[in-house]
Amino acid sequence: MFDQLIVSVTDGMLIGVVYGLAAMGLTLIFGVMNVINLAHGPIMALGMFGVYLCYTVLGLNPFVGLIIVAVLGMLLGMIIYAGAVHRVIDAPHLSSLLSTFSVNMMIIGIGTAVFSTSFRNVNYSLGTVVIGPITVPGTRLSSAILALMVTGLLYLFLYRTRPGKYIRAVANNRTSAGLVGIPSTRVLAMSFGIGTALAAVAGGLIAMALPFTILSGGAFELKSFVIVVLGGLGNPIGALLGGIILGLIEGLVPVFTKVTWVPFIEFVLFILILLVRPQGLFGAKQ
Amino acid sequence: MALLEVRDVTSGYGELQILWGASLTVERGQLTALVGSNGVGKTTLLRTVVGQIKPWQGQVFFDGQDVSKLPSYQKAELGMVMVPEGRQLFTEMTVQENLEMGATPKRARAKAAQNLEKVYTIFPRLKERATQKSGTMSGGEQQMLAVARGIMGEPEILMIDELSLGLAPVLTLDLFQSLRRLRNEGLTIMLVEQNVRMALKVSDYAYVLSEGKTATHGPSREVENDASVQAAYLGI
Repeated sequence: MFDQLIVSVTDGMLIGVVYGLAAMGLTLIFGVMNVINLAHGPIMALGMFGVYLCYTVLGLNPFVGLIIVAVLGMLLGMIIYAGAVHRVIDAPHLSSLLSTFSVNMMIIGIGTAVFSTSFRNVNYSLGTVVIGPITVPGTRLSSAILALMVTGLLYLFLYRTRPGKYIRAVANNRTSAGLVGIPSTRVLAMSFGIGTALAAVAGGLIAMALPFTILSGGAFELKSFVIVVLGGLGNPIGALLGGIILGLIEGLVPVFTKVTWVPFIEFVLFILILLVRPQGLFGAKQ
Repeated sequence: MALLEVRDVTSGYGELQILWGASLTVERGQLTALVGSNGVGKTTLLRTVVGQIKPWQGQVFFDGQDVSKLPSYQKAELGMVMVPEGRQLFTEMTVQENLEMGATPKRARAKAAQNLEKVYTIFPRLKERATQKSGTMSGGEQQMLAVARGIMGEPEILMIDELSLGLAPVLTLDLFQSLRRLRNEGLTIMLVEQNVRMALKVSDYAYVLSEGKTATHGPSREVENDASVQAAYLGI
């Protein structure tokens, strides 16, 4: 029983940081421009297919494929920003919800036509790593480490570099950002790009662990919402911690009861947090 | 040639017209005040000049160039820097980061180190608070930071909206004296103020705005002695 718990906790944490990475993309975009990106899930699915295609068609190592996915994710995000977000950025939330939802439908529509909805998987293994009583697949461990590294890099970017500080300045006060000479529109497009790149990379990491279809993003999008609410809207570090909490729930619940209870527990938690502590466990941005 | 010229500008928000043909010029090296009662369009004029809202008619010239349609970030690159009403700091960022963001224009980045030293000399308080989140400072300190952030932009013209708003009189006097010093060092300043008496004391030239138009203008001492201005704004 104890060994079982350790294994579940480890599994949960490893997948949790990847969930956290995905949620970070959602929360970054919300934090900077108050837009909830309803195309988040399909973008994760595109990340899954990106890694899959790099691996099966181009024969690339999936981790190398992730670099391509990140770059393409960034570009896609900037295109989505220009086409679907820029014009509604100051409109009421419903407008941006509808426009990003349209993007969601377009990606799913085109994706279904191109890839169908049959399951794929990335058949790539790095063997197993044994640490004391636990054995973890090498890809999961590498994925988690990579997710943590990306989180660290994002943090350094936002707090130590000039473009990163521009993002924080635009998030904090867009009017003043313009007054001091920051080209807000470009910074917003870049932020949206980074947010989608994070989602796509997280999708790519998930593709190495689980089978998926073009529709798989939806479930992870919902998880991202739960995580973002847990961690506090607009708070990237909160997203990471929220991801780990969600991962732990997924790891531990099956030890005690049926795995089908997992979504129920997650969403009860979601509603409880909204009722009791709407700013999230770790505080939202003002 | 005047550094800044506003020619017959009309503008407003949506359907609501605020400016009805405002004109003014700001000469290089002078401290020019724009005064008037609440709601006559002073802030709107400044926002139009700096590009936060576009003029409906009329033009804004900066250094002889028509800049009427430039967005504010490009105007900052030219050296048109505004210190907005209500400070509008990056409240979640530190004092130092706010100053760093102030030095975003290319022309400002080259002189950032020098300007940082300058603003820390003018406002030593800010140096003590360099690593503090700006939103947690007192109102007076925040206003200092707002002006300092403006100076970091290496302005050709520094346009300050309602410097005295919400500040204790002593602090206001301090800040006005700092402005006077900056002007004596050669900085061109445009000051928008509700505190007409103080603005006329500190400035070289003054415009009185009334109902969205320039009502009267002249050297500040003459405006101060103008009978109608005295009756309307100075309670004499």
